[in-house]
Amino acid sequence: MKNKRTVELNQKKDGYCVNFTAMASPCEVLIQTQDKNLAEQVALCVSAEVWRIEDKYSRYDRRSICSQINSGGGKQVAIDEETYLLLNFSEQCYQLSDGLFDITSGVLRQVWSFDSLSGECQHFPSATEINKLIRLVDWNKVTYDQHSIILPKNMELDFGGIGKEYAVDRCILLVKVLTDKPLLVNLGGDLAVTGPRTNNQPWQVAIEHPDCDALGQPQDMIVALKHGALATSGDARRYLIKQGVRYGHVLNAKTGWPIIHAPRSITTVAPQCIQAGILATLALLQGEQAEQFLTEQEITFWARR
Amino acid sequence: MAEKVLVAVAVGVTNDMNKKVKDTITKTNKKINLKASLSLAASALLGTSVVTAPVSHAKDADEWQFDSAFLVYSEVDRVSATEAIIAGTKTFDNDEVLSLKLTVDALTGASANGAIAQPMAQTFTRPSGNGQYVTPAGETPLDDTFKDTRVQLNAQWAQPLSDNITGSVGGHLSKEYDYLSLGVNGNLAYDFNRNNSTISIGLSYFQDTFTPEGGIPKPLSSMLIGDSSAPDWDAEFAKTRIGDSDDKSTADILVGFTQVINRRMITAFNYSYSMVDGYLTDPFKVISVINFDGIAQDYIYENRPDSRVKQSTFMQTKYHFDESLLNTVADISYRYMWDDWDITSHTIDTRFTIPVGRASYIEPHIRFYQQGAADFYQPYIIDDQKSVDFVSADYRIGEMTAVTVGAKYGVVLNGGNELSFRIEYYRQMPTDAGFVDPNGLNGLDKYPVVEAVIAQVSYSF
Repeated sequence: MKNKRTVELNQKKDGYCVNFTAMASPCEVLIQTQDKNLAEQVALCVSAEVWRIEDKYSRYDRRSICSQINSGGGKQVAIDEETYLLLNFSEQCYQLSDGLFDITSGVLRQVWSFDSLSGECQHFPSATEINKLIRLVDWNKVTYDQHSIILPKNMELDFGGIGKEYAVDRCILLVKVLTDKPLLVNLGGDLAVTGPRTNNQPWQVAIEHPDCDALGQPQDMIVALKHGALATSGDARRYLIKQGVRYGHVLNAKTGWPIIHAPRSITTVAPQCIQAGILATLALLQGEQAEQFLTEQEITFWARR
Repeated sequence: MAEKVLVAVAVGVTNDMNKKVKDTITKTNKKINLKASLSLAASALLGTSVVTAPVSHAKDADEWQFDSAFLVYSEVDRVSATEAIIAGTKTFDNDEVLSLKLTVDALTGASANGAIAQPMAQTFTRPSGNGQYVTPAGETPLDDTFKDTRVQLNAQWAQPLSDNITGSVGGHLSKEYDYLSLGVNGNLAYDFNRNNSTISIGLSYFQDTFTPEGGIPKPLSSMLIGDSSAPDWDAEFAKTRIGDSDDKSTADILVGFTQVINRRMITAFNYSYSMVDGYLTDPFKVISVINFDGIAQDYIYENRPDSRVKQSTFMQTKYHFDESLLNTVADISYRYMWDDWDITSHTIDTRFTIPVGRASYIEPHIRFYQQGAADFYQPYIIDDQKSVDFVSADYRIGEMTAVTVGAKYGVVLNGGNELSFRIEYYRQMPTDAGFVDPNGLNGLDKYPVVEAVIAQVSYSF
């Protein structure tokens, strides 16, 4: 996990570009300024915040609060304000999705492992294995208040579904205090902007277009973003095929099985990155009805099937 | 001390928000409120104020959204019109919307002058007084000097005035060779019941000035027919005129109510009250004065009352069917109009938008219109009934049935722009007004059918 943490700063035509790696993703910040000092400050501020959140909520890092909670063995674990707010948010997502989105579902990853290179699922779990684990997925069994949490023994929390998007929004809040220069924070494709570029120009963000051109070729589409955020959920590479059925890597927290007939990925826009991310995830969880779900909600989206 | 109070308030707000989110989840169809609920949840998490507006700014289009259309309307043997429209809409940061629309029409062709067909050729003086035209025996008299170009400009500004009130104001300018129309309007809309219901009220006022070539004819005076190059022609023609121009004003009030029934159905109800005052007569229309044999003795200029009060009610329902009916959107409306000229009309309009594949749709359209006659409508006057106050033989205020049948095909192009084609057939069938016709009119078409074809190409970008 411990790659050497370095931040690169490159001068571009109309500003600076900051690059670093966090949360297993390439991260970048674009800032429209010629002021190198300011760019350095932003680079430090953003990278520090993203790494802070990674360290605090990674379930792979033994020292993280997430690991402390997961290894609490059914005992009370003290939490701080930030964690309390994240739990509150997760609770609301659980309610809004009717239980489909559940941050205790991470434990299912023990049986559903997708090869990081080929994307395929190497081992297809048996119903018995899943039934054993699904008893450990139930947000309703978690009790928490502003100062502490009790997670039943063997259950696990996974902030992976919201952590990156939360980090994007946190960074936007922090850099807005530092500068009012136009700025974009992109953490592995989940991104947000502080506002339009100079002269009220939109940021041009390339996303993969769901439709094909006249020759049937998939096309990248440029989205003009002046305010707000954009997030993508799903991973086109991670899937498994069994008896002709293609399973995506998004798991149904109620059944423990992957959602079938879902788009490979969904991109949505919202005022904040965490909203965009949840909307995309909730849509994926609707499977075949993903696009219809978003259309009914009047949400701007791009789906890739 | 102050700080503590602030903290307490902040906590209170967060609790309220949580409560609102939960209420939203339990009480109503959560699908409708997902965006709002998430927005509340995210602001509680990040400690920011609720942001909802900017979503609409993430558009893959430019800031201005344009619609353009080119339309051809062609009546069989009569008027044809071509119309070009370009409309632009721009949404600003605080949800203000500016809409501008420019329409240019060109009209050419012939229009019925009001006189009735005769078993012999008929001669009429042009509205300008310069020259004559002859209608062959057995044909409905048409004035073929109809030619005009109209330029119309509309501007509308809409903005939220509070969380649930939207206001808008607009202006209208329309200029033709012989006509000028100026208008202003204002509208307020109030959303309530979680934005599922909207009440709106609108006011508009128009001031029109008509300056027909040849001036305003003296109502009920006889059309001067003779040698327009004779030395006393101009003086004689001037005696049938009462001025160069006249005007009218129109004030409208519209009250509307829109209700979302469920996620598939929306309904709207409108009521409008319209007062028109001033010159409402058509200066180009005459009426035949015939003898008991049915032979035209004279043509007199029509005369209409100088005020009209029009009321109408309108109801509309849109329903979005599911896959079992191909995700069709049905749009059905009914309008009932009545006025103090005794005209009543019923309009039923239905459209079905049927998606075809992922990016196109086909939209069949059927419109049915039925109208009763104005109380002063007459297809002609018999010689000894000449002492009328108000009279018009204009087929447009007679009893009639009209049907429009057509279809539109729209396709969303690769860049997200929409191209659509519309073709429609219109047929207007006047009803026999029930007069016992003199023998001389036997075999003549007193209530000619009007047919038209409408073709339109639209492009939104």
